[in-house]
Amino acid sequence: MTDSPLILCADDDEDILALVALRLERAGFRVVRATNGESALSLARERRPSVAVLDVMMPRLTGIEVIRELRADPATQGLRTILLSARVQESDIGHGLDAGADAYLAKPFRAPELVALVQKLLAEPS
Amino acid sequence: MVSTSLTQRIPGQFQRLPQSRATVGYLVGGWAAIAVYFTLAPHAQSVLFVGIGLSAVTAIVIGAARKPRIARLPWHLFSAGILCQVVADAISGYYEIHLNREPPLPSAADAFYLSGYPLLVLGIVVLVRRLGGQAGRAALLDTIIVAVAVATVQWIFFVEAYIREALPLGARIADIAYPSMDVLLLVAFSQLLVGPSGRAAAYRLLVISVALWLIGDEVYGLSSSTYVAGGWLDTFWLGSYVVWGAAALEPSPLPFEFRDRRTIPRLTPARLTLLAAALLTMPSVLLIERTEHHHIHALIAAAGGAGIGVLVLFRLVDLVRAVEGARASERIALQDAEQSQRQLEEQNDRLREVDRLKDEFVSSISHELRTPLTSISGYVELLMEDEKDTEKSEYLDIVDRNATRLLGLVSDMLFAARMQSGQFDLRTEPVDLRLIVGQIVDSIRPEAEAADVDLRVHEAGVIPEINGERDRLAQLFDNLLSNAIKFTPRGGQVDISLGGTNGKAVIEVTDTGIGISDEERSHLFERFFRTQVVLDRQIPGTGLGLYISKAIVEAHGGQIAVRSVEGKGTTFVVELPSVVATHD
Repeated sequence: MTDSPLILCADDDEDILALVALRLERAGFRVVRATNGESALSLARERRPSVAVLDVMMPRLTGIEVIRELRADPATQGLRTILLSARVQESDIGHGLDAGADAYLAKPFRAPELVALVQKLLAEPS
Repeated sequence: MVSTSLTQRIPGQFQRLPQSRATVGYLVGGWAAIAVYFTLAPHAQSVLFVGIGLSAVTAIVIGAARKPRIARLPWHLFSAGILCQVVADAISGYYEIHLNREPPLPSAADAFYLSGYPLLVLGIVVLVRRLGGQAGRAALLDTIIVAVAVATVQWIFFVEAYIREALPLGARIADIAYPSMDVLLLVAFSQLLVGPSGRAAAYRLLVISVALWLIGDEVYGLSSSTYVAGGWLDTFWLGSYVVWGAAALEPSPLPFEFRDRRTIPRLTPARLTLLAAALLTMPSVLLIERTEHHHIHALIAAAGGAGIGVLVLFRLVDLVRAVEGARASERIALQDAEQSQRQLEEQNDRLREVDRLKDEFVSSISHELRTPLTSISGYVELLMEDEKDTEKSEYLDIVDRNATRLLGLVSDMLFAARMQSGQFDLRTEPVDLRLIVGQIVDSIRPEAEAADVDLRVHEAGVIPEINGERDRLAQLFDNLLSNAIKFTPRGGQVDISLGGTNGKAVIEVTDTGIGISDEERSHLFERFFRTQVVLDRQIPGTGLGLYISKAIVEAHGGQIAVRSVEGKGTTFVVELPSVVATHD
């Protein structure tokens, strides 16, 4: 397991956070969890995950703000990010992608869809 | 009534030429009589002169009786005025025929002649005022300017000569009274000239008759010593009688309810000409007197000129004030417009803010509903994967289906709210409809099989490529096919056919379902509309599906239509414009 990619999951809704983590763990990934934007950013800098799956509406820092911070830091700017949100208007999706997210996945999501997306990002050259 | 334009109310009535047969007949007969007049002996001429005058009075009385009651007064005044003239003519004729001499000066004839003028002038003034031609201070000033000019000319050329003559007082008064009456008639005539717009035949005939009268009087005034009764000069007075009678017989096309109520007279060419003539009167008089080596009436000319100058000054002051008033009104209007513009901008800002808040609200509601659904669907999905018990799996499947249904409802409501706020933009690209329809059919086939509905796809000929948003088109076909399956009884059939015609892709979804009544069909694409059968059978749904479908089709520049027979089935026809128009 130690060789499998590390995925950062961040969501202030603990039920959804547990669900996302469980799905990714079942798919064979290692998972590190955060319940707000600030700790997500810290974990991203400390643990250097391969992919970050971030909720948008989180306390302290939103998922979009976390991505901006990551992109601004040369050490983390290459981190693959997925925004996972229940805000699904075109404008919300546009803001997320403009901020630098690699993908935007709407809640509720299907597990195979999430896993496939993570695998796709891992397969792409950084 | 007053504000209605004349041309709208009585089209075609502003004829320039007489239209009435009575008018034309009277004109022809009258001028024939005038022609005969010059062939007669002097005594017979006197009789015919009176006869023509009486015929004019009769024509005016008849004409007045045929006019609306409110329009009769001026014509009654005209008939009385001309009757006075005719009586005077008769007295003069009596002197000539029976006493073989001119009537003395003054005589009863003069009394009738002179009393006729005020009646005619009053008639003209009443007529012009009732037609709205003269009203307000500016019109009054114009009238006075003309009156001063005319009076000065009359005084210099006609009155003063009589004052200097060594005649008895009565004769001098009578001699002065005639040009004075002509001053009144000339002023009244000027009002007719610049009078109400919309001149009709009757009005024009009246102008001609007064003009003939004045020409006769003025020529007589200039050559009274050489005047011979029965001579050519009589043509003017006789002609005036005939034309006046004809004017009365012509139906009036300007009923008083249509009168022009402008308070400021327009500076028409006629009015400007008249005012210019009045202003040039004094220089012209002095020039004529100088050229003819007459006695120069410097004092009278100066007084007249000064009077006209002062009146023109008043007129100018009024005009300047009117312009200043108009500018002030313009400034106020401009300020009002600027204030309205500011208010409009503030209102727009508020509307934009409200729109933003509404958008934010809809987005928040969607977020709050989707978040718990994420947990429900996600954990049910997990349980379904792990559950080996068939019965429990079925229960979980029910929960999953309903969670999905609830998600569809939330999505539809969000979509409808966005359409309402005009935020529905497409991200189009060339798309192959066969692929989209194929994917939707594949995904919906399990639903059709579960409902025991035979789902078939047909492709006919070339299917044009269209510019569209893939997800929205998928949503459209999903809506139409889901509806068709939902409303088709077990054992029924749903067909989706793709084709193209006249540069359009045509997609038809046909079911053998319950159908839609004619009455309900027209409401089918309205928001939240549900048919009575659907309500009675408690078939689940929000009434948003077809509303959204229509919006998607129209956003793609297409059309959607429906055909249905109750109890037999329904067909939805979607036409979408192709990228390049093709014909097959």
